[in-house]
Amino acid sequence: MASGFRLRFGESQTKVVDDADEILDSPSRRTTRIRTKPKKYGDFLDHTPTKRRPYKEISSSEEDEVTDETGVQKPTALFSEDDVEGQDMFKFKSRHTKLDLQNKVKAAISSSPKPTDSPMKTPRKLAAFNSSLTKVSQATPKQVKDIIKKRIINEVASDSGESDFSGSSSDFVPEGSDHDETDSQSSPAASSDEEEEEEQKPKKPVSKTGKNKETKTKVKDSEYFVTPDNYFMMHSSKKIATSDHTLARLKNLNVNENDLDDIEISVEHKKSINELNQTYTQLFNKWLYILSENFNIILYGVGSKRSVLQQFQKQKLNDFPCIVVNGFFPSLTIKNILETIVIDLLENSHVPSNVGDVVNLIDTQLTENGIDLFLIIHNIDGTMLRNAKAQSMLASISQIKNVHTIATIDHINAPLLWDHTKLSRFKFTWWDVTTFVPYSEETSYENSLMTHRSGALQLSSLKSVYQSLTSNAKGIFKIIIEYQLENQKQHYQGLPFKDLYSKCREQFLVSSDLALRAQLTEFLDHKLVKMKRTYDGSENLVIPIDNVLMQQFLDQQTS
Amino acid sequence: MESTVSVSKGVFLFTNGFKKGKTNKKKSGKVLFEKIFLKELWYETYKQNWNYIENELQELHQKTYSLLLNDIVNYIKNHGISESSTLEGIIPSATLLTGVSQPDHVSQFASLIDIIRNEVTPHVALVNSQDAPTVKHLVENAVWQLIHGKQILDYDEESEDIITQTKKLKKNQCTMKTLKNWYLSKSPMKKKSTTTKRMLVIIIPDFESFNCNVLQDFVMIVSSYVSTMPIVFVFGVATSVSALHKSFPYHVSSKLLIKVFHSHASPVYMNQVLEDIFLTHTSPFHLSGKAFELLTDVFLFYDFSVTGLIQSIKYCMMDHFYGDNLKSLCCDRDKLEEVIMELSADDLENLRQLMSFRPFLEQQDCVTKISLFNDDNFFREALYKKMNRLHDYLYSFYMCLRLLCVFVKDLPKNMLGKSVREIYTKCALECVANTSAFKDCMQLLKFQSQMKLVESIKSALKIVNSHLQAVSPVRPLRSSPTKNNINNIFINDDLGENFVKSLRVHLLTFLRQIEQANTDTTVSTHDSQETENADENVPGNRYKLKEKLLKATRVDRVQSEFEMVRSRFVSYLEDVFSAGLQPAHAHTFHELLLFGDVSRVRRHVVGAPRGAVHTALSNPVHYLQCSCCHLPSSDSVIDTLPDVCLAYKLHRECGKHINLYDWLQAFAAVLRPEEDDEQRHQDPNIQLRFTRAVAELQFLGFIKSSKRKTDHVMRLTW
Repeated sequence: MASGFRLRFGESQTKVVDDADEILDSPSRRTTRIRTKPKKYGDFLDHTPTKRRPYKEISSSEEDEVTDETGVQKPTALFSEDDVEGQDMFKFKSRHTKLDLQNKVKAAISSSPKPTDSPMKTPRKLAAFNSSLTKVSQATPKQVKDIIKKRIINEVASDSGESDFSGSSSDFVPEGSDHDETDSQSSPAASSDEEEEEEQKPKKPVSKTGKNKETKTKVKDSEYFVTPDNYFMMHSSKKIATSDHTLARLKNLNVNENDLDDIEISVEHKKSINELNQTYTQLFNKWLYILSENFNIILYGVGSKRSVLQQFQKQKLNDFPCIVVNGFFPSLTIKNILETIVIDLLENSHVPSNVGDVVNLIDTQLTENGIDLFLIIHNIDGTMLRNAKAQSMLASISQIKNVHTIATIDHINAPLLWDHTKLSRFKFTWWDVTTFVPYSEETSYENSLMTHRSGALQLSSLKSVYQSLTSNAKGIFKIIIEYQLENQKQHYQGLPFKDLYSKCREQFLVSSDLALRAQLTEFLDHKLVKMKRTYDGSENLVIPIDNVLMQQFLDQQTS
Repeated sequence: MESTVSVSKGVFLFTNGFKKGKTNKKKSGKVLFEKIFLKELWYETYKQNWNYIENELQELHQKTYSLLLNDIVNYIKNHGISESSTLEGIIPSATLLTGVSQPDHVSQFASLIDIIRNEVTPHVALVNSQDAPTVKHLVENAVWQLIHGKQILDYDEESEDIITQTKKLKKNQCTMKTLKNWYLSKSPMKKKSTTTKRMLVIIIPDFESFNCNVLQDFVMIVSSYVSTMPIVFVFGVATSVSALHKSFPYHVSSKLLIKVFHSHASPVYMNQVLEDIFLTHTSPFHLSGKAFELLTDVFLFYDFSVTGLIQSIKYCMMDHFYGDNLKSLCCDRDKLEEVIMELSADDLENLRQLMSFRPFLEQQDCVTKISLFNDDNFFREALYKKMNRLHDYLYSFYMCLRLLCVFVKDLPKNMLGKSVREIYTKCALECVANTSAFKDCMQLLKFQSQMKLVESIKSALKIVNSHLQAVSPVRPLRSSPTKNNINNIFINDDLGENFVKSLRVHLLTFLRQIEQANTDTTVSTHDSQETENADENVPGNRYKLKEKLLKATRVDRVQSEFEMVRSRFVSYLEDVFSAGLQPAHAHTFHELLLFGDVSRVRRHVVGAPRGAVHTALSNPVHYLQCSCCHLPSSDSVIDTLPDVCLAYKLHRECGKHINLYDWLQAFAAVLRPEEDDEQRHQDPNIQLRFTRAVAELQFLGFIKSSKRKTDHVMRLTW
């Protein structure tokens, strides 16, 4: 079903349809058509009012009929009270500003009832947090600070009423957001005093006025009337309105993937997660029943569903041949799955190339042998299965009477994978299996955004390849690295082969052009080095690794 | 390490003792699978019911498709006969406009093949777009199927051995040339018999999904052979004929002799399925109004596929019966007694707990109440009576529904709807006779002309008669002896067959009266009096004139004989409908026959993955039921939330791009508010938790890495 998602957009949608109908049926349009002025006098005679009259009446009665028939039908049972509001999921907020995150954190900290928190302490913490964000890249000159302070004091003094003050301060927000865009664009080195002043302006009052004003601005925020124009305004600017902080500011970013297992979860959550997962085991019999009736099952919800499926397999599917597919596996192909079914299970010699033939083969052989095959697919929305071909193949296999598919999805856009035809082949029944179990296996293959930054993986692989090289090859590689580090530019073209050759000869690393090429093939094979051909036909060598990492690598080697 | 985790493999096989060669598996397989449920009472009943519905569907398929398909078959046949008259190199082709709901077409084409095989020729090929990425594949597939078509047919009926004897061509040997040779080699033997038997039909069910060039080439190739072999195409086109013209240039389309056939729109088909199979008393399983509404909504607003609708109904049925022995009462009337005797004491106890049993119980006097609770046999008797009554009710309900439909469907404005299914949703939810729409309809009926009324009554009589025929085995009386004073139980026996019979008699008399009634009694003494009075009045008094006219109209209507009969008839109809169209939930034990658990089924039929993810992340208490994470509003943040939820909530505060560093700081600040900010950011534990939360959000598809700026990620939602 096409679906996948159930939104509560119903009303607005039908409203649009209503409007469209109104436009279609509106008498104005008909009358305009009738009333088109004839250009010639003779024509005009034909369209005298007396003649036009009956025609008009007919048209109006026609109209009534049309409106009767196109009375827009609205879905009645599709939506109910317990649905998640589409507003919650899909609304776009007013402009996001740098401060949003900050405000949220402050609200969270100040509202959390900690016994250790004394009311005295909270503001300090907030201030500390604020300052950590604000003092960032540039220190504000003292004179600027003073100017702003004075201005604020003046303002407070003049508008003694609290409400007035909050009103004026809320004006800051959009202003600040505008400035955010500008100052993110300007490089920190080149920022002038003026800009700093502007940047400082929205932050100061926020940190000073504290909590109750905070809530006021929030209310204002939620009342923000969202129009579609807003969306385009937000996305029209190519500028990125975020701060310029980088993770390099963390001195000890050394996330080790292996440590990920021992993350503490509170005892209560552990208990409730266990209980939650226990409830799913009670569904196993029903699942089996549903599968036996030639429906397939799809599980969705936050949290790894592997353990649930493993239990299901262990408890219920001991007597049946099963195939477990890890959809999140990065080098999985649809061919692997077919080979496992056709060659490993059914003991054929090869897989037919045609989709229809494969399906027929599996179908006939399974029915001949009278067995039921269970296909357990963890993450049917995995990266390698995200193409129409793989999905239609899976759909055709799942359609076979003796094949029973249980699949999981995690990606929020996963339902977009299936069109009408595929969905009808899959015959899914949908089950909400939210487990809150961490995706440890699923995410282990992808290089996470954070760990990717630390580059530990690249570094270690670089090292291991490097260690297996001959000393001459090591020297050549070093030359390339050093050249690349020396020539850091926006558009680094690479080290020309000729230059490399001359450098290598200088250091007696190679004796001939050919020998150097032989050495280079090793690097090319391991993808340590990339060969780029320029327009004039010369070859340039580039190492596709971050400069920081290379520096780190070089430091390690020399030390 | 688990057995299904590997860095080199993504697919794992667990044979679980299966070996291909073992023949003894042949039977045990199916038994193994079904034996889990087979001994259960409800499962048997479910199977019976579903098989019944499946058969009905099959018949309906045959009926609905037959008209259209016969047209196509005749077209193909005619071209077989008048083969010589066709122009050189032109291929006759039937284009079947199927409509957009492609899943439904499978069965349509399957029955088309059946009919062609039976009536025209055994040589039919059906090639799907997925099997024909190139011309080579297309030709191979088509030729192979044409040559072996006969054998595939045999394969269903006879054992394998016969087939292996006849030599099979390899796929890659199948070319047009082999087809020609094969055709010519076979033709002399059969030439005398009939020419029509020798047709070759190639069906292309999903025209739009094919690559245009492939089809063009194929048509050109076939057209060069059509002089030697009579080949006919059948194209299934989902959109419109123009698709055919668009994808074929002139030199190709000039080779085709196209005739277009239109198939039914799928709502028509849906209405037919629902009316003929599900909205009848013949099947014991019924959908309640809400469930019915849900399924039709899914059809009308989501998929437009009848196959999908039937599958959803099947799912509802499965859910209705699953694990509940009481539901075995949802069976045919003649089996009812048997089933009631089989029920255990526990089952009976569960029956007594049913909500719909309460009001019935409260009607009874003390003695009956006690015996209902203590005496299982007495309860069984009562149950039997009640169930019979429920069946009676359903019988008359569906008949009244159809009657109402007959009278109402042509009324202006369609207040109750046009089709039986629309009216059903209205009737099933509340007592329709009390609604204003119904009253308006009855009002309108009072204005209907004589002819129209006669017509509707006649068609209504037809329905009543067919209903009376259908129920020819009159409901069986209890064969078990009455030991107790069962007659104490108050059951008003006004529904069922007797109800229908009396209805028939009434309809007949009304029909006769209306037919004979005179409409022309306009002039009467009253009328003349009124006019005299009007003359007396001063012409200027407009108010009085109006009153007079009003009075005059009222008086006039009463006078006509036809109008008198008509208003009597309408009030009779009102009585009938208010008696017959009571909503089901007023009846005792309606849960047993009517499926009503909509909310549960809806989640499984429609599915809301995005909603579930959102709820889990923004309000984890909904799933976890923990005491620590109660949030004042869905936007708020506290430190006890699971890490993913916390990261999710913080990321919602950001714009299109998120600075990882700032995000981490905010994350840390929420978790460790009391620490100094320098320390908490450096805490490896926090970093670790954050890293994992970010990785999970990436996995869920909320963010992705961005190259626009260092250490930034992009939000994929807004």
